Amino acid sequence: MARANSRQRLGPLILGRATARPRGRLQWYAYLSILPALCFVALFAVYPVAFSVRLATHRYVLTDPLNHPFEGLRNVAEVLGSYYFRRAGLTTLTFTASVVASVLAFGVAVSHYLNRPGRLAGFLRVAILLPWAIPVVMAGIIWKWIFNGNYGVLNALLVSLGLIPSYVSWFGNPILAPLTLVIAHVWKWGPLAAIMCLATLQAVPRDLYESAHIDGGSGWAAFRYITLPFLRPTLLILLILETVGGFVTFDLVYVMTGGGPGDATSLLSWFAYAEIFRFLDLGKGAALAFIIAAVTLGLSLVYVRLLRSEALYS
Amino acid sequence: MMRRVVTVAAMLVFAATAIPMQPVARAGAGSTQLTFTVWTFAVDTIKENINRFQTRVPNVTVNLTDYNWGQYNDTIVANFVGGSTVPDILYSSDHWLQQWAAAGWIAPLDDYFPQARELAKSFAPYAVEGMTYKGKLYGFPYYADPMAFMYNAAVLRQAGFGAPPQTWAEVLEQAKAIKAKGLVQYPIGFGFSLDEPFSIETVISMVYSEGGNLFDKDLNPAFDRAGSAMVKTIEWVREALRAGVMNPESLQWDGVQAGNAMKGGTQVFFITRASGLWELNNPQFSKQAGNFQLAFMPGATHETVGFVRFYAMSSSVPRRGKEALDAAWQFLNYFGGPGPDNNYPVVRRWALDFGLGFAQLPLFKDKDIRASFGRWVNVERLESIGQKHARVKQGLTPWFAQWDVFARAELQKAYLGQQTAQQTVKNLASKWNELRRR
Repeated sequence: MARANSRQRLGPLILGRATARPRGRLQWYAYLSILPALCFVALFAVYPVAFSVRLATHRYVLTDPLNHPFEGLRNVAEVLGSYYFRRAGLTTLTFTASVVASVLAFGVAVSHYLNRPGRLAGFLRVAILLPWAIPVVMAGIIWKWIFNGNYGVLNALLVSLGLIPSYVSWFGNPILAPLTLVIAHVWKWGPLAAIMCLATLQAVPRDLYESAHIDGGSGWAAFRYITLPFLRPTLLILLILETVGGFVTFDLVYVMTGGGPGDATSLLSWFAYAEIFRFLDLGKGAALAFIIAAVTLGLSLVYVRLLRSEALYS
Repeated sequence: MMRRVVTVAAMLVFAATAIPMQPVARAGAGSTQLTFTVWTFAVDTIKENINRFQTRVPNVTVNLTDYNWGQYNDTIVANFVGGSTVPDILYSSDHWLQQWAAAGWIAPLDDYFPQARELAKSFAPYAVEGMTYKGKLYGFPYYADPMAFMYNAAVLRQAGFGAPPQTWAEVLEQAKAIKAKGLVQYPIGFGFSLDEPFSIETVISMVYSEGGNLFDKDLNPAFDRAGSAMVKTIEWVREALRAGVMNPESLQWDGVQAGNAMKGGTQVFFITRASGLWELNNPQFSKQAGNFQLAFMPGATHETVGFVRFYAMSSSVPRRGKEALDAAWQFLNYFGGPGPDNNYPVVRRWALDFGLGFAQLPLFKDKDIRASFGRWVNVERLESIGQKHARVKQGLTPWFAQWDVFARAELQKAYLGQQTAQQTVKNLASKWNELRRR
């Protein structure tokens, strides 16, 4: 109703402009105006995707550079049936679930703490963002040194505290190595989650907490019935970001573990890289990249649907 | 005011002209540019060699780029695939030769330089074999070495052993004794990282040392048979890790890190290129200098891998024409051949200053090199290993590099006990056949 009224109000103005110039010329002007942006999008989005589709549906083995027959979905089928897909898929799911849960828990806990008034709160709000500002590769190198099995500071600390008898080979152990990746990932991306949650929490009216307190509600009850409902939209956005981020994590693996030991930290994105740059099979690499993209897109759509839900904001 | 404007304008004009002047001045008039890509090792020495080359051959200018050894092949592949930063001359290895040549990224030298084939007669045969694809020569040797077993003789003496181990069982026995006496926590450490191209050379050397073969004459896998030398090798590493005598960090180490453990005295047994002993026995780099000895590879036959790293010429050079080809030949002849003064200026320097092994046969008679090598290695033993026991890697094919990468991860799974040795060799054979069919 309101929209109809506004159209009635603006109607004469718009019509007035439209009738002042020929309609065709106006359309051309509109298309010309968006042409630079269209070219930009075509160059950096449409063309690479189209080329990737071509790669994924053809045989592109670099050691056989002149032979590129059309293969349809054969690359996709071969990737799905490959020796690594099931195991790497499971490793990726475990890693993604771990980082999503850890980053969200970190974000909520830290933002809850920083939302309290305190002397150090201002400093901590800035300091907490530092890891987020560090490039991922640098973060990987830092953590690679921290976890180093021979000279790492973590081993030195744990031994000096008497928590372990001798140095542990963090990257040489197939159970501990994935854990090091999760820790590095949370250190890198947790601060962003914390700041986003903190921004949301600062918009929560204080009198709600005071009312809860007067009504005899516990701290947990206030968190459960006031804080969490306000945080839900932010947490869902973080859920999308972290799920996609977890699925496509590559840089930390590349820098810290190289996918090892064995294939303990070989995520699907690692194999997409390995198919192209190590096995020189661009077709399979592109096919795997599309599979990863389809999974993350599917999950994102589910989350976005949840985000749009009216109940979320009610 | 006017004076200030003129001063600022003059400064801007000077800056604009001075900045681009630098490379032009270095290149010199009429100079042919060559780009040269190496893995990161002694880059300052490489720069000095380039400067000496440019002084001797002033019509060629060389621009150097270096990449990490562990990611070298990946980076080069990315460069060739991307096509934007393809070098003219680059380091290569017998590992990667067939992959690069089959993809058409590097050019056969004898197609463009007929004199190269004649010069190759002065190279060790295993090195020539490692640089040859489909009968064509693709490089001049940068260095060539056998893989060798080395040990810390001082620790061995402390543990009561008068001689190095002769078999792999003895290696375990001595390592367990050294650990039991509290001398060293992890006496064995190899560079088995997923990024370490030397790791497959270590494994193949262990297989050869037991008289094993990887493939038959038709390139069918021979390692997947029950009780093969490969199965025994995998089980040996598994046992060394399980018994706590091999450093578990071996699965993350490259050869440099394992070598550092040797130099620091926290490790006793090591397999690497024979010339690695130069650094271990050099007091400038090693706390334990003088304690390290070269041994024959333990096992039934003491055979080992002999490998070659070499200078290759990318296919972009012939496309650039005669001038670039002439420059490339002068470069290759200076760096990997006898050079204009017939004194092997670069190869000789690598041997004298870094102890790098070589494939250029005339240098074996060089008195300076023999005297220099004698300071850090038993020269007769080194010669014996190189000439009697070193064999080229079996299975050098366009798919060897891909198989090698696959093998590193599969072998690690076996070492960690995640799959049996028999399952591992079955997977390796399956992958070999898949890559071969592709």
